[in-house]
Amino acid sequence: MTSALATPVDRPARTRRPVVGTSTLTRGSGLALGIAMTWFSLLVLIPLAAIVATTAAGGWEQFWRIVTNDQTLAALRLTVGSALGVTALNVFMGTAIAWVLVRDRFWGKRILDVAIDIPFALPTIVAGLVLLALYGKGSPLGLEWANTEMSVRLALAFVTLPFIVRTVQPVLEELEHDVEEAAASLGAGRMTIFRRIILPSLVPAIAAGAALSFARAISEYGSLVLLSGNLPFKTEVVSVRVLSFIEGGNTAAAAALATVMLIVALVVIVAVDVISRRVARRG
Amino acid sequence: MSIDITGVNKLFGDFVALEDVNVSIPTGQLTALLGPSGGGKSTLLRIIAGLDTADTGTISIEGTDATKLPPQKRNVGFVFQHYAVFKHMTVAKNVAFGLEIRKKSKKEIAHRVDELLKLVHLSQFAHRLPSQLSGGQRQRMALARALAVEPTVLLLDEPFGALDAKVRKELREWLRRLHDEVNVTTVFVTHDQEEALEVADEIVVINDGRVEQIGSPDELYDEPANDFVMGFLGEVTSLNGNLIRPHDVDVTTAPTLAGAVQGEISRMLRIGFEVRVTVLTDDGQEVQVTMTRTHARALGLEEGQHVWLTAATGATTVPTMAAV
Amino acid sequence: MVREPTAVRWLLRIVVCAYVFLLVLWPVSLVVAHTFENGLASLQETLADPEVQNALLLTAQVAGIAVVINLVFGVTTSILLVRYEFPGKRALSAMIDVPLSVSPVVVGLALVLVYNGQDGWLGRAAESAGYYVIYDTPGMIMATCFVALPLVIREVVPVLTEVGDDQEQAARSLGANGPQTFWRITLPSIKWAVVYGVVLSLARSLGEYGAVRVVSGNITGETQTATLVVQEKYLDFAQDTAYATSFLLATASVLCIVVVSLLRPKESST
Repeated sequence: MTSALATPVDRPARTRRPVVGTSTLTRGSGLALGIAMTWFSLLVLIPLAAIVATTAAGGWEQFWRIVTNDQTLAALRLTVGSALGVTALNVFMGTAIAWVLVRDRFWGKRILDVAIDIPFALPTIVAGLVLLALYGKGSPLGLEWANTEMSVRLALAFVTLPFIVRTVQPVLEELEHDVEEAAASLGAGRMTIFRRIILPSLVPAIAAGAALSFARAISEYGSLVLLSGNLPFKTEVVSVRVLSFIEGGNTAAAAALATVMLIVALVVIVAVDVISRRVARRG
Repeated sequence: MSIDITGVNKLFGDFVALEDVNVSIPTGQLTALLGPSGGGKSTLLRIIAGLDTADTGTISIEGTDATKLPPQKRNVGFVFQHYAVFKHMTVAKNVAFGLEIRKKSKKEIAHRVDELLKLVHLSQFAHRLPSQLSGGQRQRMALARALAVEPTVLLLDEPFGALDAKVRKELREWLRRLHDEVNVTTVFVTHDQEEALEVADEIVVINDGRVEQIGSPDELYDEPANDFVMGFLGEVTSLNGNLIRPHDVDVTTAPTLAGAVQGEISRMLRIGFEVRVTVLTDDGQEVQVTMTRTHARALGLEEGQHVWLTAATGATTVPTMAAV
Repeated sequence: MVREPTAVRWLLRIVVCAYVFLLVLWPVSLVVAHTFENGLASLQETLADPEVQNALLLTAQVAGIAVVINLVFGVTTSILLVRYEFPGKRALSAMIDVPLSVSPVVVGLALVLVYNGQDGWLGRAAESAGYYVIYDTPGMIMATCFVALPLVIREVVPVLTEVGDDQEQAARSLGANGPQTFWRITLPSIKWAVVYGVVLSLARSLGEYGAVRVVSGNITGETQTATLVVQEKYLDFAQDTAYATSFLLATASVLCIVVVSLLRPKESST
C-alpha cells in the first residue's frame, strides 16, 4: 500500500474557477450540435443575413432614400410611437395585473389568469377579428375605433398583454413576505414599503417584460390587417409597409426597412440579455 | 487489491483538485475517504466511478484497467449525497433500473428487487414514489438500487450528509452491518471523522488534493503521520511545542514531575460528566485540558489555582508546526 | 402578512378586471356569440366549404410538421445548452430568442430572399434539383418553424437546469448508455416542460399568419392556410365563415393552453 505523506507547508489558497471556452462535447453530442446548428443557420441565420446583404448591395443612398420616404417615416413614427405608448401602459397594467394575481384572492381569479394567456394563444388574424367585434363598426360600446390610430394601439395592447404580467408574476411570488414585515416593523408605511422594498426587486423583471412587449409591438402585423385598415400616413405600420413593398415586387426597399426593424430587435435582445443577467446576479 | 489508483492528477481550471494520488483499496473492506470539504475526496470517488476523468494517472478495478472506461461499463454502484432518485419511478422501479438495463428476465428482476427491498427494509414501500419517502428511506433505496446490479465495488459519496444527526447515526450502524452481510468492496466519502472512525476498516485521509495518511482507525488515531491528521481526527491542544489530545494532559496541583509546565487555571467549564479546563501557562500559552468531573473534584481544582501540566504516559503527541 | 388597505385592493382588483374584460374577455365572447348566432348552422356551413376544408387540412399538416421539427430541435438544443460546454454557447443561447423579436413579415421576406427560385442564394439550387420551397409547403413549414422556434427551448431549459444531472449520472453508474439515459431518465423528468413547449408551439403554428402569407403566395385551395382564409373571407364579406373559422382556430389554440395549464402538475417535489 502506498501513501503519499505530505507536510502541510504554505499551500496557497486555491479557488475553484469555472472553466470558460473549453468544450465538453462528446462525439454524439458534437454531431447533434452540428446538425442543430446547420438547421438553425438554414432557417434563421442565412435568411436574416440575406436581408442585410440585400440592403448593403443597394448602397447607403438607396437605404437612406427608402427609410426617409414620407410614407415610410409616417409608418415608423406611428409604429414606434404606439409601441412605446402601449409598453408604458403595460408597465402599469402588467404590474397591477401580476400584483392582483399573486396577492389578491377573489372568485374568478382563475379566469383572469387564463385570460392573460389568450392573446398569446390566439392566432393574430383572429385577434384582429375579435377586437373588431367590440371596437369595430356597430360597436356595442359605441367606440368605433376601426381604421383609426386608436385601433393600432388597441391591437398592440391586446397582443402584448401577457409579457409583463408573466415576467413579473414569478418574481412577485418569490418575494419573501418577511422582508416586507421587517420593513413594516421598522415603521415603514405601505407606500414606502412598495417604493423602497418591492419595486426595486420588480424593476428588472418589469424591464425585461417591457423589452419583450416593445419588440413584439413594433413587429406586429397579423392583428392589424383587418382592424387598422392599413391607411397610408394614418394607420399603416412598418410591417404592413414592408409587406406592400414585397407585394409590389420592390424587394430592395422591403429589405432596407426590414433591416431597420432587425436592428431595433437586436438592440432589444441585447437589452433583455443584459437585464436578465443582472437579475440572475442579484438572485 | 480491489481498486488501484496510481499517479492521479486532476485540475479544474487552475484549481488543483487532486495531486499525485496513489491509493490501493483492499477487496471486501469498508474504506473511508476522509477529509475536509473541498479537499478532493469526492473528486477521487467520482474518478473511480468514471463520472469524472483524471487528467493523468490510471485506475484499475479488480485487475482491469478502467481508466478509459465510461461509467456504464465499470460495474460500480454509486450512491449520491442527494440520493439522485429517479423521481418519476416507484421505489421498486428505481431498484430494478440497472437490472432492466442489463436485460435480465422479468422474473429474475422481480425476485432480486424483492430481495434487496427486504435487505434495506423497504418492502412495504415498493410501490410508492420516492417523494413519499423520508430522507433516510430514500438513501436506503438508492443503496439498494446500487447493490442490485451486483457491483464489483460500491461507492458512496457523503451518503448521510443530507440527513439529520439521529438518522445519520442509525444509518451508519446499519451500513456497517449491511457491509458485513453483503461483503462488497465499499468506499465512502465523509468529512465526519467520527463516522469514519466508527464505520471504516481502513481510512484514507485526503486534504488539499493530497493523501495525508492511510491506515486503520486505530493507527490513524494513535500514530498520526502529521499535525493535520492529528488535528482532523479529534480535538487537540498544544503543550510544550507538541500537539496533544486534551484528555491526555495530566494535571497536578504540586510540581512532582520534572519538565512539567506551570500555569494558572483561567477558566473551568463543566458539561455533564466532563470538565474543560483552560490553563494559562507562565509563558503565556493557553492549554485545554479535559477530565472527568470526578477527577477534577478529587484534585480540588478551581479557577485561579496554580497547576502543573505533563503529557500522560502513552499519550500521542505530534510536534507543532509553526503555523498552528 | 402586510396587507394593503381594503380600498386600494378593491380599486386594483376592479381596474385590472375591467381592463382584461374589455380587452380580452368581452371581444372573445362576442366572436363566440357571432359564431353561434344561428345555432350550429354557420359552423356546419363553414366546415362544408371545400376552401375552408383544404385550408384547415393544410394548416394541420404545416403546423404538425413544424411542431415535430421544433420539438426535436428544441429538446436537442436545450440539452446541448444546459449539459455541455462549447465555444459560442452564449451567442447561440442569445440567438435562439431572435425569432421572438422579428416581425413575421420580415421572417417571410428573409426566407423568400434565400429560397426563391429566381435569384435566391439556396433557392436556385433547390429548384433545379426539383425542390420548390417558396410558394409551396416546405416554405410554409420553414416560416412556421422560424416563428415558433424558441418556444420549446424556453420551456425546457429552466426545467433541465433545475432538475440537475445527478439522476443522469446515477443512471450511467447503473449501466445505462446515452440513449437509454435520455429515454428513461432525462425525458421523463422534463416531460411536462416538453408538453407545454409543444402546446405553445402548436398554438403559435396554427395561428401563424404574416410569415406564411409572404412565403405561401396565398393560392386558394393550394397554399392557403386557415388564417389566410379568415382574412379572405372577411374581406369578401363572408363574415359568418370568417367568424366560424376564427372560432375553430381560437378554440384549438386556447383549448390547448387551458387543458395543459390544468393538467400540468404544480411545481412540486414529485
